[in-house]
Amino acid sequence: MKILIADDEALSRRLLESTLERSGYEVIAVEDGKQALDQLCKPGAPRLALLDWVMPELDGPGVCRAVRARSDHPYVYMVLLTSKGSKEETVLGLESGADDYLTKPFDPEELRARLRVGERVLLLEDRLVEARENMRFRATHDSLTSLLNRSALMELLVRELHRSQREKKSTAILLGDVDHFKRVNDTLGHVIGDEVLIEIASRLLDAVRSYDFVGRYGGEEFLVVLNSCDPNYAPGRAEQIRKSISNRQISTSKGPLSLTMSFGVLLTSDWGPRTVEELLHEVDIALYEAKAGGRDCLRIAKPAVKLEVSPAALPQAVRRRR
Amino acid sequence: MKKKEENLSEPVWNQAELLDRVDHDQELLRELLTIFRTDFPRTIHSLEAAVAGGDLKNSASLSHALKGMLSNLGGRRAAAAAARLEESASAGDKASLKGGLDALELEAASLLPELDAYMTEVRR
Repeated sequence: MKILIADDEALSRRLLESTLERSGYEVIAVEDGKQALDQLCKPGAPRLALLDWVMPELDGPGVCRAVRARSDHPYVYMVLLTSKGSKEETVLGLESGADDYLTKPFDPEELRARLRVGERVLLLEDRLVEARENMRFRATHDSLTSLLNRSALMELLVRELHRSQREKKSTAILLGDVDHFKRVNDTLGHVIGDEVLIEIASRLLDAVRSYDFVGRYGGEEFLVVLNSCDPNYAPGRAEQIRKSISNRQISTSKGPLSLTMSFGVLLTSDWGPRTVEELLHEVDIALYEAKAGGRDCLRIAKPAVKLEVSPAALPQAVRRRR
Repeated sequence: MKKKEENLSEPVWNQAELLDRVDHDQELLRELLTIFRTDFPRTIHSLEAAVAGGDLKNSASLSHALKGMLSNLGGRRAAAAAARLEESASAGDKASLKGGLDALELEAASLLPELDAYMTEVRR
């Protein structure tokens, strides 16, 4: 584990360095508080620090205050080294943000024991951060496919549409549905159905760029958002995505399956300013048309198309499209 | 008076304490003593100048530095003398500076030969 030592006195610095290296630490030693702060702000910085109280440029409590003022960095466990012994000074040191203090000259066993306390605190912090990240992932991702879930998709889509409007770029929204998926579930069982959904999710992710996003919209429906997508290339890219499902069989534990997907595609440049809900409604209609047109194909939602469909028939038709 | 008695009960150099601190690593001990033999004269000369000029701030910080290096080496009596000088300087007690410096130099004069003798011994 990395540890930072900051002490302006060469003898003390060398003594600490040697003691800690012998205990297995990877030591970074600096001579003043300014250098200490620089080291602690670097990426991959040590998360354990031994700081002398009295140092040029910036003293130990000053380093502690500056480190604690940052909010988006991993926790650093800081021990102040002091020859000061009064209660007032101890309180001042701890109030500055230090986790502990050690009186000089230090006892090697006590130093090691106190640093082990620091390591335990850091381990606990790491576990809490990991647990928080896991919870955040579970709240925003589909548990089966690990794709973004519907609510996370909506949030990202709103943000992306604002951005594309601001930057006058087009976004392509693809709503895809696995053709005849009910048959898979009915004939081979839900376990196989789940295997299919997992493989489809993986293929869709592989078919897009790192800054596009893919999510499970619900059941066997997937939403793909191609950010800053040139409208001239969008249909071709949508075709590639569709073919990434149909061009080879999906392996399952009950043998390979040939499956296809139908897609509704919408280019925001065709529609002007609309709400996310309006655009999703239009792309849903286009998906219905792809289903009605024989499946394993895509249909692009155009404002003119909307006029050819009876508005009264739409909601029911959309519900029945499978 | 009490302080002085306590001080005299301490050895000039607590070699055992220092050996414990370096985990009986003679190589490291030699290295620390070499650092000390470079840093100590330089710092005490600066301190002498600060005391002579009545510079309380530098007298305090230099005696603080000496206190640190002396205590790390197990020179407790000299470290205690440096600590008293630091206290006087921090308290603004200019009148005590010269006496404090003399006391520190007296303790250092007892300590340095012991350290040198040890260096000579371990070199053999």
